[in-house]
Amino acid sequence: MADAAPASLELRGIVKIYPALRALDGIDLTLLPGEIHALCGENGAGKSTLARIAAGKILATEGSVVASGPVGLVHQHFELVDRLRVWENVVLGREPRRGGRIDAAAARERVRELSRRYALAVDPDAVVETLPVGIAQRVEILRELAKEPSVLVLDEPTAVLAATEIDALFATLHTLAARGAAILVITHKLQEVIGHADRVTVIRNGRIVSSALTATTSLGAIAHAMVGGDVPALATRTRAPLRPAFVATNLCAGTGAHALHDASFEVCGGEIVGIAGVEGNGQAALSDAIAGILAYEGEMRLRDRPLPPDPAARLVAGVRVIPQDRRREALVLSWNIVDNVALGDHARAPLRRGFNVERGAREALARRVVERFDIRTPSIRACVASLSGGNQQKVVVGRALSCEPALLVAYQPTRGVDIGAAALLQSRLIEARNDGTAVLLVSFELDEILALSDRVLVMYRGKIAGEFERGSFDRARIGALMAGGA
Amino acid sequence: MKNVRDAALFAAVLTALAAGAMLLAGANPIAGFAALARGALGGERQVSETLVQTSALLFPSLAVAFAFRAGLFNIGAEGQLIVGGLFAGLAGAAFVAPGWIAIPIVLAAGAIGGGLWGGVAGVLRARFGGNEVIATLMLNVLAVLLANYLIVGPLHSPNVAGPETAELPSSSWLPALLPHTRLTIAFAFALALAGLLRYVFARTVFGFELRAAGEAPQAAARAGIDLRRTALVAMTVSGAIAGFGGATLVPGVLHRFNVELSPGYGFIAIAVALVGGLDPLWIVLAAFAFGILQSGSLTMQALAHVPKDVVSVVEGLAILGLSARRFATRAPDVA
Repeated sequence: MADAAPASLELRGIVKIYPALRALDGIDLTLLPGEIHALCGENGAGKSTLARIAAGKILATEGSVVASGPVGLVHQHFELVDRLRVWENVVLGREPRRGGRIDAAAARERVRELSRRYALAVDPDAVVETLPVGIAQRVEILRELAKEPSVLVLDEPTAVLAATEIDALFATLHTLAARGAAILVITHKLQEVIGHADRVTVIRNGRIVSSALTATTSLGAIAHAMVGGDVPALATRTRAPLRPAFVATNLCAGTGAHALHDASFEVCGGEIVGIAGVEGNGQAALSDAIAGILAYEGEMRLRDRPLPPDPAARLVAGVRVIPQDRRREALVLSWNIVDNVALGDHARAPLRRGFNVERGAREALARRVVERFDIRTPSIRACVASLSGGNQQKVVVGRALSCEPALLVAYQPTRGVDIGAAALLQSRLIEARNDGTAVLLVSFELDEILALSDRVLVMYRGKIAGEFERGSFDRARIGALMAGGA
Repeated sequence: MKNVRDAALFAAVLTALAAGAMLLAGANPIAGFAALARGALGGERQVSETLVQTSALLFPSLAVAFAFRAGLFNIGAEGQLIVGGLFAGLAGAAFVAPGWIAIPIVLAAGAIGGGLWGGVAGVLRARFGGNEVIATLMLNVLAVLLANYLIVGPLHSPNVAGPETAELPSSSWLPALLPHTRLTIAFAFALALAGLLRYVFARTVFGFELRAAGEAPQAAARAGIDLRRTALVAMTVSGAIAGFGGATLVPGVLHRFNVELSPGYGFIAIAVALVGGLDPLWIVLAAFAFGILQSGSLTMQALAHVPKDVVSVVEGLAILGLSARRFATRAPDVA
């Protein structure tokens, strides 16, 4: 990094104030041509805000942004028009024209040329909604590259990718960097930071707390900087006797690309079975079928009895599902913690007496959950919408575990949750396992699967593609199966 | 309205709008408000008339609020009220019995009629996923046509000339709360119902499930709440409340049934329920405020030459403003 090289992007004294929040509080960041710079931080640290300010999508309250050329931004949630073709998306807003019409031939050629230059294979005439996530992301990247940017910002680009796709993405980024672009990658996967970035900057609460060459830092140091302290250790797993609990036989559910096909597996009381896979390979259909809100074929038995058909009876039978979208599927955001914790168990004693809700029992339950899950709230009467994402998730998981469930399905239980809260939630899952609950863990973070599971099932295109026992986890092999390898 | 500050703000805005409307109509707003107040609150007779209007509005408003809390946009309170009135009128004309027998039968008939009418929309929603807004809107029209058809056709009463039922025997009339006024025990029923609904929402498992289904249907379904059953029950109960309200007007005010029973109480009720923030206690206050407008508007027109349509305009603006706010807050979250 020669000091003489002019910066590709220079952020000085960036402050961003939202009505109730100081999102960024004086950020200075310089990107040099040819470097891959990682930006790390916990949820809500201000990373995405900084990315959008750098790309000129939103304005900073104070401070200056100077770039040597166009800045491209690849969004965490792709901003593509699903119904349009690849080439239409790439040229959208900057369509080449001939006469009064769009010059489709020139646009297609432009896409092919970019595609060749950066080794990003994609069919210009494919309709975006038919593409797998990894390819859709290539389209998003191509669209930004079509602007010939001198800086490319990528917001959590690897969140939805399988391991092999992640390697391909970083290969592309290295090519770009070699051509003189500066790359800013926002990520919370620390291995990627160490493996691919030249420098790493950590922000916390809107301020830079650490900035270093990756060669001179370590995973532990980065995590420490992100959390602002030591990362709490996971609960130890005790050797618990396995008892037969949940058996699924020839389970089929859902339709289309995300359907579940003919899955047969078992989860015993006292073990965590992890479902490894890239998002959209049937995990949601599996979780919804177990919750009782999605029609299915095949059989499910819990503790030697068939699962009853409706969600209410499944709750009584001890099935708890932590759904993927906590804001819509798990919580009533406008309600307080007391009412949210009661939801699901509200129709039975001890939370019910006759026609009435039993307020005392509800409040006692809410206090127990708040204490056991260390929920940061001014009061159990606080509206859950006012809690942070991590604390909302603690309410959801705390509710699910308040009854010692027979079967717990945890779908991405730590998504969008900061490191400290994630460690607490993971420890509680291990403790539930130790207490004899059958835990089915769905996660798109392979690290989380490998850290928590006693057994791993790999899902690909709705089928179970492989099974691994703890002690013989083969990371490379699991990654290959997740991507559809044999 | 969640609190006094909101309510005061809303009242101020509405007053300003009313003043503007009066100016546009070429009248003096101060004279207009004075005439309105005199017509609605000027004496015992005026106050009692305002309370008659208040209770007539309160039933359908509570009905609308009940369905809204369960996430169902019932705009058919008017039709449910009319069918309730029809059932009450037919039952009341048919039974000659002491009041303590006849009155409960008449009112129950009204609740059943309204409940059936609301239940139709509930079944369409629960069984076929039909949109309750369209269903209840259409059922309003059907209710008027059905009532007119029945009372001039198959159920025509031989001694009556116009499109109405025979007069109820005076033993079936509702007892007056104030002598020599039209204010009956219907007003007490309305207040009691408001209290009951508040209790149901705050304290009962049933109310808890309704609110969950209304606020977060997906979370409610995962918590074992049957959304179809909830929709059916909520629409039926909502219709029954409106029907009961329609029924009180028959032995209480008209002493017979005809479709002139309601000057649109079921529609104004939407505004009242929204102004009241769907909270039964605030709805009582809102119904009183709208009751003032209803009962004072004729005096306002006579004394201050403000067209009484100004009241409809202001009610319409209230619905528009509050619906917009309600839907605006449901816009998707911006990350």
